Amino acid sequence: MIVEILSGAVRGGTSILYAGLGESVSERSGVINLGTEGAMLVGALGGYAVTAQTGNPWIGVLGGAAAGALLSLVHAVLVVSRGANQFASGLTLFFLALGLTSLFGTGYVSRQINAFTPVKVPVLGDLPVVGPVLFQHDPLVYVAFVAAPLVWWVLFRTRAGLLLRTAGERSDALVVHGYSVTRVRYVATVVGGALAGVGGAHLSIAYANSWFEGMVAGRGFIAVALVIFGMWNPITIAGGAYLFGAALSLASVLQAGGVAVNQFALDVVPFVLTLVVLAVLGKRTLLAAPDELLKVLDNSTSR
Amino acid sequence: MSEQVSTGLGAGLSAALLDGERWRRNRALAVRWALALLGGLIVFGAFVLANGASPLDVYTDIWTGTLTQPSQVQQILVRAAPLVLAGLAVVIPARAGMVNVGGEGQLIIGAVAAAGVAQALTTAPTGLLVIAMPVAAAAAGAAWAGIAALMRVVVNVNEAVTTLLLNYVALYVMLFLILGPWKDPAALGQSTSVGLADGAKLPLLAGTAVHVGVLVSLGAAIVVWFALSRTSWGFRLSVVGGNAEAARRTGMPVVVVLLTALLIGGALAGLAGFVQYAGSEYKLRPTFGLSLGYVAFLASWLARHRPVPLLLASLALAAIAVSGNSLQIGSGLPAASVNVLMGLILVAVLGWTGARKAAQS
Repeated sequence: MIVEILSGAVRGGTSILYAGLGESVSERSGVINLGTEGAMLVGALGGYAVTAQTGNPWIGVLGGAAAGALLSLVHAVLVVSRGANQFASGLTLFFLALGLTSLFGTGYVSRQINAFTPVKVPVLGDLPVVGPVLFQHDPLVYVAFVAAPLVWWVLFRTRAGLLLRTAGERSDALVVHGYSVTRVRYVATVVGGALAGVGGAHLSIAYANSWFEGMVAGRGFIAVALVIFGMWNPITIAGGAYLFGAALSLASVLQAGGVAVNQFALDVVPFVLTLVVLAVLGKRTLLAAPDELLKVLDNSTSR
Repeated sequence: MSEQVSTGLGAGLSAALLDGERWRRNRALAVRWALALLGGLIVFGAFVLANGASPLDVYTDIWTGTLTQPSQVQQILVRAAPLVLAGLAVVIPARAGMVNVGGEGQLIIGAVAAAGVAQALTTAPTGLLVIAMPVAAAAAGAAWAGIAALMRVVVNVNEAVTTLLLNYVALYVMLFLILGPWKDPAALGQSTSVGLADGAKLPLLAGTAVHVGVLVSLGAAIVVWFALSRTSWGFRLSVVGGNAEAARRTGMPVVVVLLTALLIGGALAGLAGFVQYAGSEYKLRPTFGLSLGYVAFLASWLARHRPVPLLLASLALAAIAVSGNSLQIGSGLPAASVNVLMGLILVAVLGWTGARKAAQS
């Protein structure tokens, strides 16, 4: 049972992990994107639709990434170029994504696709406990194992990452050195949206293997919170994402085990957990926030 | 449709014809609305076309099926009532510089509280029930917003993030209740709570299908307008919203101001839940109040957080929402597709009509 929960944690946490990585990229540059939930939604539908049309889930992942990137591009235009309030823009895009996926998604409900199937890693997959928990999953789970350290490396060890973080910490320093803050934030927001789109695609073409309206169910918002108490660090965020995956998988594992619990009492667990962790750790982790982002978080006012 | 909006705006304009500055602002608002609406309609038409339906048919449907039908116009008023209340729940905290995205959850919890009171007091006189339900709903909404307010004030976690998460908690609490302890054993198919007794429903205005909740929300908008623009409390809100640090230095109780703004907002959203419950739906169901809180958020931003324009914004969005139903019947598009239209309009308003801030901020 423990192995089942842990294995479910890795599987269920993967979509949140991708979204959290994307959100950390965008927030490190000083842009908070509540539209991550929307990017996951369009990513889920985009991934599903492209997979249905092409029969190839890998192309589907690209479709999901493109959909998430496009939606986040609108966010970038609104907040970076037009100076709109970041929270209002993000929520509007979430709402827009709800409508768009409902409009374009009806044809894909209950349509069969050639989804990702679990691939057991040779040798490692046969290990006791570790094998089923980590190495008997769909390919996107393995890609995520690499993606988290890769995003960390790009953010903290490359020139591009340095520029991106400078945009989030002291954007005037970028200007002094002749870089465009606007361009950096555009790239960060769009890349972040693409990652969230991959997270959504994981939900529809590897996790649930189906498309239905509102299937993201708040995972994008959890990812936004996760980035705060993951202190904008991709490695910590990965750990947090799997923790929430555990909370999510608890429900299905208990039900499969024949325990009679009201499903919604379990569905609420990840959200309560997020709020409790924010309440306990929030004050401390906010010290690690990028300065320009803190301005957004502290004074969210705009008219 | 644009004709209706412009007559509505005309009324708003003449009411606000107090000085030139204000008139100019209102005229700018009217132009913004027209352009945003037009842009939204065009892009939405393109999406409809891409989905294989004819935009012309869709707009004809909306016109003949909704906007020119007296019964549908009454529906629009009924739909707008909770929108106005939940919109005020965004307006007040926004004046103090906060983003309340939790209208959805505060509204649901308000309705849950009202339903709980209705179930607990089945034998009590209806007079008591009629008072106890809105009080409980407002208190529950305020408490729900209070969680986010406390987290903002004590641990400095941004209220936009917490109120969003609380929306899902509220939804699951309601679902838990109606699929568990509150489930109506007589309900067929979809699980619901037990229906509200006739005597406790909001009375209708004579000869119409419009309930008194419409008047309640109109009254609330006027009270909030007065409180924001004519009282020292309203002044304190805007000082804190303008520059919290300066307010703190002049000795203003910033924490108290922030707390009360969110609590009052939550109470209004809770009241919106009561109006939706006792005025329209009469029972809790899995889709109760679906996305009313989010639409109200859009309405408040469209109105730039001002109570009187909020009335117009709520009416316009309610009209779009109601026409979603005729869209489903007429063109076979899902009712939620009109969310696209609402979202597009707000994108246009946020991006191209605001008093622009510095792009780098």
